[in-house]
Amino acid sequence: MGTSSGPKLSGMQKQVLSLYRGFLRAARLKSPEDRRQIESIVSAEFRRNSQQVDRKNFLYIEYLLRRGKKQLDQLKSPDTVGMSSLYLNLHQPTNHKP
Amino acid sequence: MALRAVLLRQLRVPVQTLALAGCKSQPWSFSSCIRLMSSHDDHLSKEQVIGRVLDVVKSFPKVDPSRVTPDVHFQKDLGLDSLDNVEIIMAIEEEFKLEIPDKEAVKIDSCNLAIEYVYNHPMAA
Repeated sequence: MGTSSGPKLSGMQKQVLSLYRGFLRAARLKSPEDRRQIESIVSAEFRRNSQQVDRKNFLYIEYLLRRGKKQLDQLKSPDTVGMSSLYLNLHQPTNHKP
Repeated sequence: MALRAVLLRQLRVPVQTLALAGCKSQPWSFSSCIRLMSSHDDHLSKEQVIGRVLDVVKSFPKVDPSRVTPDVHFQKDLGLDSLDNVEIIMAIEEEFKLEIPDKEAVKIDSCNLAIEYVYNHPMAA
């Protein structure tokens, strides 16, 4: 029977997926337009990191998780409408090569 | 069996939360109480659940709709990754107006498990 037989996830991978879920949940509470924008930025960011960051670079991933959690807390505040202000400073340090 | 464990846990959780929350403050508990009192007839049929779950999966941009059957595994058969898996489960939540806790969401990695989860969820709408 097709029960769960997918790849086993590490604790860190679970944290990343949980953070991703948290962002998508927070985005639902915004206006449809903001939501679309948030989802596309967040999705692009997670995917970019999943490609570029060495999966053994635990320190850096932990740093990204901490930063992401902070950004998620900011996003959850009702005053934050979109990601533009949150993510402006994100795209500058592209010198983070794994 | 893993599936059985998922279902059993699922059957238990809503009852506990209902018992704790009762009909008091929480905004969602009001509608859950109505649910409890409603006749069983308006619960979704298995066919409805299967059809709507498959529609959600088929409408996912990266999925080739012709490959979607109740038996497909999201990552092994549809070539999705774990982030896609999260997105699909979130889309299913919205379709059926559910909130699937993280612990359960990570286990749902195939159409079959999603269908079983939704079908056995007392609040699926």
